[in-house]
Amino acid sequence: MNIDQLTNVLFAALRVMTPLLLAALAGLISQRVNLLNIALEGLMLFGAFFAVVLGAKFNSPLLGLFFSIVFTTLITFIYALSIIELHANLIVAGLAINILAVGLTSYLLVVMFNARGAYSPSNLVSLPHLNLPLLKDIAILGKVFSGHGVLVYVSWILAGLCSVFLYRTPQGIHLRAVGERPEAAETAGINVKGIQYLALLLGGVLCALAGAQLAIGDLTIFNDSMINGRGFIALAAVFFGAGKPSLTTLGCFLFGLFEILQFRLQTSANIPPQLPQMLPYLIVVLTLTAISFQKKFTKRMAG
Amino acid sequence: MQAELPHLDPATSQINVEDSAEQIPSAILSLSRMLLTLIIALLMGALVIWISGKNPVEAYRALLQASLGSRTAIANSLLAATPILFTGMAAAIAFRAGIFNVGVEGSLYLGGFAAAWVGFTFTTLPPLLIIPLSLLTAGIVGGAWCYFPAILRSRLQVDELVTTILLNHVAILFTEYLVNGPFLVPGLANAMSPQISESARLPRLLPPSQLNASFLFALLAALFTIYLMTRTKFGYEIRMVGDNAQFARWSGINVVSVIEKVMVFGGIFGGLAGAGQVMGVHYRFIAGFSSGLAFTGITVALLVRNSPLGVLLASLLFGMLRSGSATMEIMTDVPRDLIRVLEATIIFFAAIEFSNLLWRRHREH
Repeated sequence: MNIDQLTNVLFAALRVMTPLLLAALAGLISQRVNLLNIALEGLMLFGAFFAVVLGAKFNSPLLGLFFSIVFTTLITFIYALSIIELHANLIVAGLAINILAVGLTSYLLVVMFNARGAYSPSNLVSLPHLNLPLLKDIAILGKVFSGHGVLVYVSWILAGLCSVFLYRTPQGIHLRAVGERPEAAETAGINVKGIQYLALLLGGVLCALAGAQLAIGDLTIFNDSMINGRGFIALAAVFFGAGKPSLTTLGCFLFGLFEILQFRLQTSANIPPQLPQMLPYLIVVLTLTAISFQKKFTKRMAG
Repeated sequence: MQAELPHLDPATSQINVEDSAEQIPSAILSLSRMLLTLIIALLMGALVIWISGKNPVEAYRALLQASLGSRTAIANSLLAATPILFTGMAAAIAFRAGIFNVGVEGSLYLGGFAAAWVGFTFTTLPPLLIIPLSLLTAGIVGGAWCYFPAILRSRLQVDELVTTILLNHVAILFTEYLVNGPFLVPGLANAMSPQISESARLPRLLPPSQLNASFLFALLAALFTIYLMTRTKFGYEIRMVGDNAQFARWSGINVVSVIEKVMVFGGIFGGLAGAGQVMGVHYRFIAGFSSGLAFTGITVALLVRNSPLGVLLASLLFGMLRSGSATMEIMTDVPRDLIRVLEATIIFFAAIEFSNLLWRRHREH
């Protein structure tokens, strides 16, 4: 692999990891309040749908992004309400959101555009791409880090902010307290419900961004299988990163890199695409197994 | 530690609250609750239809007409109910043990392919040999597929929901690879296996409908499940584990083995569901043929709060919805994806658990 190919691969990996990273941050924040967010997949699909449809309606990708955040957060609010106020089972409600996302978006596509499964508005352009000043002129770094879609940079900023939020702000500390010892947190006067709402709704915003990146980040297209398990891979990255923003980001980068490499492999070495496509899922299952093994082992060592 | 996987806590989980089939008052209660959920879902669907500028009454009338209006329509509804009976039972048993086994979908694909492979490979065998052989292979393959996440769950506490969802992608991709690679039929537009031999095909019950003998197998499987859950020691153990795994362990129940058996059982049912579709409907394996049948099974189990008898009834209802929806789309322009919206609403309300809510209110005042 020469240097050009390497920069190409790294550039593409950073692009591909973005929706994973945004969704993983959503999953991470929920995970830190001890709410396993199964709905990432469905919320991303809603995010993608609203971004394309409303972006096309207002003829502006930025407005599409804005309304995608508004409406996806609204749906997340219903999800949060059912869990926090109505004591819905977390996993079952998440499953409902995922099925609703597929059903409702396909339904609306047929009703609104007479399109089955896929929709690509011709008038909508993708979100702006940024050429970073100074950096873009540096030989290799410029080719890897400059020229991405705006949400790619937003995702890096948010990953940093997430770390600051969790470890350096009172709300973040409260959030972790609620996740680790809810009763103690309540006794200490922390508004547990408020923190849970905050965590899930932030997740909704992040999923809207993740969906928008997939739908209008580079191309402008929606199809009903475009999330393709990314919500669960994002969740797996959270497990891989043991709930830490830095390690979770690394996990997302590795999965992104892997996705690009297997794509290259299938075009250059003529390997059937399905076999390498299976690997990320298997790797995640193995990672989860290894984590559990380690936990069991350390528990045994501790006595 | 936050990275710990929060699997369902059986003591507080709202998936497995009660055994509805056992006492009459609770049976009536769960029946009325099921009807209430259903009515809410249909109203929600009507709202969606109405907002999209169509007539809900017409749409539902077309749906009813297309699913029950004639002998063939009824046969088609039973046909659509067949795989849901299998997957619904699989989900109900797993939930009853406090397990969230989504791997049934993967088993359905792999079992379906296994049945097809037997059917197009051993073409000289007579029906009396090849049909049981196909079903057996499908069951074994389906069960084995769920055995992996079962071991991970029971021995290492790896969350079975996450692993089975991820492994489903693996199973679906793998079967897609098989019909695009080693078992590719040249000249066919879609990815599918060769046709199975005439003798491996299940007999049709009410032509011109595609309703076939797999419906009878599904009924048998359902009756077997009802017997298993209500009349055997194993069924009792499943309920014990679901109610309180800790207590079950102290009472001498081998919780690890119960969890593994329950998941493998679901996998076998998934495999048989796939085999039924291959041997009775398509006569070959078609990539991506299921479109979430296991999730419909989960919906059904949640709707009836995991009562096996309830699954039997609700599967027939969902068969109606599924078979009627395509005609509804043609006749009234209401997209058949409406059924998924109904499913989501049902799951959502099952998650909320009315009784739980009412009980809380009662206690607060």
